[in-house]
Amino acid sequence: MPEPILSIRDLVVEFATEDGVVHAVDGVTYDVFPGETLGIVGESGSGKSVSQLAILGLIPQPPGRILRGEAEFEGKDLLKMSKKDLRRLRGGQVAMVFQDPMTSLNPVLKIGHQIAEAIQAHQDDVGDKAAKARTIALLELVGVPNPDRRYDQYPHEFSGGMRQRAMIAMAIANDPKLLIADEPTTALDVTIQAQILETLKTAQEESHAATILITHDLGLIAELADRVVVMYAGKVVELTDVQTLFAAPRHPYTVGLMDSLPRLTVDEEWLRPIPGQPPSLISRPPGCAFHPRCFLSQGRTRCRTEEPPLRVIGPDGHLSACHFAEELVGQSSKLIDEPVAGASS
Amino acid sequence: MVTYIVRRFLYSIPVLFAASVLIFFSVTVAGDPLATLKQNPLASKQTIHNIEKRNHLNDPITTQYAYWLKEAVTNKFGSPLLQPGTKIWDDLKRVIPHTLQLVVLAEVLALLVGISIGVYSAIRQYSIFDYAATTFSFLGFAMPVFWLALMLQILFTNIFIKWHVRIFYTSGLSSQNPGGGIHFWIDRLQHLAIPAMTLMLLSIAQYSRFMRASMLEVVNSDYVRTARAKGLPERKVTLKHALRNALIPVVTVSALNFGALIGGAVITESIFQLDGMGPYFLGALFNQDAYVVMAWLMVTATAVVAFNLIADVLYGYIDPRIRYD
Ligand SMILES: Nc1ncnc2c1ncn2[C@@H]1O[C@H](COP(=O)(O)OP(=O)(O)O)[C@@H](O)[C@H]1O
Ligand code: SF4
Ligand SMILES: [Mg+2]
Repeated sequence: MPEPILSIRDLVVEFATEDGVVHAVDGVTYDVFPGETLGIVGESGSGKSVSQLAILGLIPQPPGRILRGEAEFEGKDLLKMSKKDLRRLRGGQVAMVFQDPMTSLNPVLKIGHQIAEAIQAHQDDVGDKAAKARTIALLELVGVPNPDRRYDQYPHEFSGGMRQRAMIAMAIANDPKLLIADEPTTALDVTIQAQILETLKTAQEESHAATILITHDLGLIAELADRVVVMYAGKVVELTDVQTLFAAPRHPYTVGLMDSLPRLTVDEEWLRPIPGQPPSLISRPPGCAFHPRCFLSQGRTRCRTEEPPLRVIGPDGHLSACHFAEELVGQSSKLIDEPVAGASS
Repeated sequence: MVTYIVRRFLYSIPVLFAASVLIFFSVTVAGDPLATLKQNPLASKQTIHNIEKRNHLNDPITTQYAYWLKEAVTNKFGSPLLQPGTKIWDDLKRVIPHTLQLVVLAEVLALLVGISIGVYSAIRQYSIFDYAATTFSFLGFAMPVFWLALMLQILFTNIFIKWHVRIFYTSGLSSQNPGGGIHFWIDRLQHLAIPAMTLMLLSIAQYSRFMRASMLEVVNSDYVRTARAKGLPERKVTLKHALRNALIPVVTVSALNFGALIGGAVITESIFQLDGMGPYFLGALFNQDAYVVMAWLMVTATAVVAFNLIADVLYGYIDPRIRYD
């Protein structure tokens, strides 16, 4: 196996709030390999964004606090790096695309300037003219029409989809080795989402960057990811390659996510959301945090008292954090019998 | 941008017109402007008759207004009711610059200091500096202006008596022989310093609070996170991406402040015996000269409108969303 480009080990991030300490990320471990797309999936509030923002030094501290962990990027621990070195990395070798393009661009600065600024922050030798030329080329690449006119426009003159294209252009401006896309299509109109995914693919091909794709949409995972991390309540509950995940999920939460996915091939009655709400991250349920919602637990004491460790459950390092993961073998999800579109691509 | 400025400018014309109607009618219905004069045994019937005739005081109120407006526009407010020999504008021409010098000096410094304190408080939230700034601004809000003015006067008088150094003067606008050119302006600054400090305290308190709140809102915004995510140095993130957005609400407050202070530094100007708009207004009230009062109110209204116009232009400069709508 090749060396991972990013290697996160036992990351713990907390927020001190008025209601108590929010355990947003609680001992997360995974690797990202060069050139691959790692999907991170989980309901809203499961710590997906915070885990990424934390390693890049982008969570507000206080109230945030990185309790422990390592995040080795090309052999250097991001969490021990000086602020200056980390700043050089951000937007350079590691770039991010955020969820909401409506609020992620500065309303009082021109779009072109905001991208050119990202280039010049990392390449001292690039003059204003060269930065502008490169920006216009980038805008063209991500599919912004009339890029030389658009260069001088402000964010409010761009539609949501166009803004997200501009954000993607900004992210790949310095040929990053790792591209983190945090729910890049969630805030957009359904009709635009497919186009933005295409743009993202183009950007990936252009920069050859490894990608972390954060989403709560398993459909996107099926389409884009090579390997998948499933997160629940600040922890990794399942980790495997995308085919295995859809063919043989080994965590009841993953199964639940799949059953709540609308499918054209299946009757409406199969569409059932996971019952209940994600748990409070201030006082998480004892034992397995998923037990109040789990169909497999059936009230077994072990689920309520003993925290299930993330353990190898299948070939190629398939990991699951469920005491009774083996019981899912054979007992398939309602959907597993059905061919899963895109899962084999 | 140019059309935006022109449009804003044109908007202020009807506003000023409405202000003139409001001012004239509210002052006129308040009572007979010559009531006191008529009780004065020394005032002859002829004098009163002359004043009434000259200012059309016996005509219907709308006609009076038309004559007053004509006089105001074509003849710079004409003469006071009670001293037909003099010109209102001669007085205004003298006091307006004095007040402007004081207010602009105080407010520009207050903006610089207040914004700096606010920004620093926000990026070092809950630090000792932040707590000190908070305490200072509450003092600023609570301290009565006349008390602060007197304390400063006493302080600098004592310094003069004790060490015989003249840092600042404690009253008046100029020395007996201020000299010319640069000497005149240094002397003027020495006179304006303490009154300016008096005015500044409240403004600094206001601006720093405002700036702190506005900055705190902005530093947690998504676009500031984007600015960090692209690897900009923290200085650029704060001064370019955050500050510019955070300034938008402060522009409004300071425009209101400027406008209000042009007419409203009455206490400060009186205590320090500055020959400005404030004492001039008090004099007009004391003499019960309705036409001087109205002229003063018009000038103040114009100042408010003018500073709002400046604020609008600044707004448009800072925030492109406003410029284009
Ligand atoms: N600045 C913050 N202050 C307090 N709590 C926060 C902050 N940022 C995130 N959190 C909490 O951390 C948890 C994880 O959030 P996040 O990583 O954004 O979830 P998601 O998986 O939807 O991206 C949530 O419960 C959220 O409320
Ligand atoms: S450990 Fe128990 S509660 Fe948790 S997922 Fe497995 S079966 Fe469900
Ligand atoms: Mg998120």
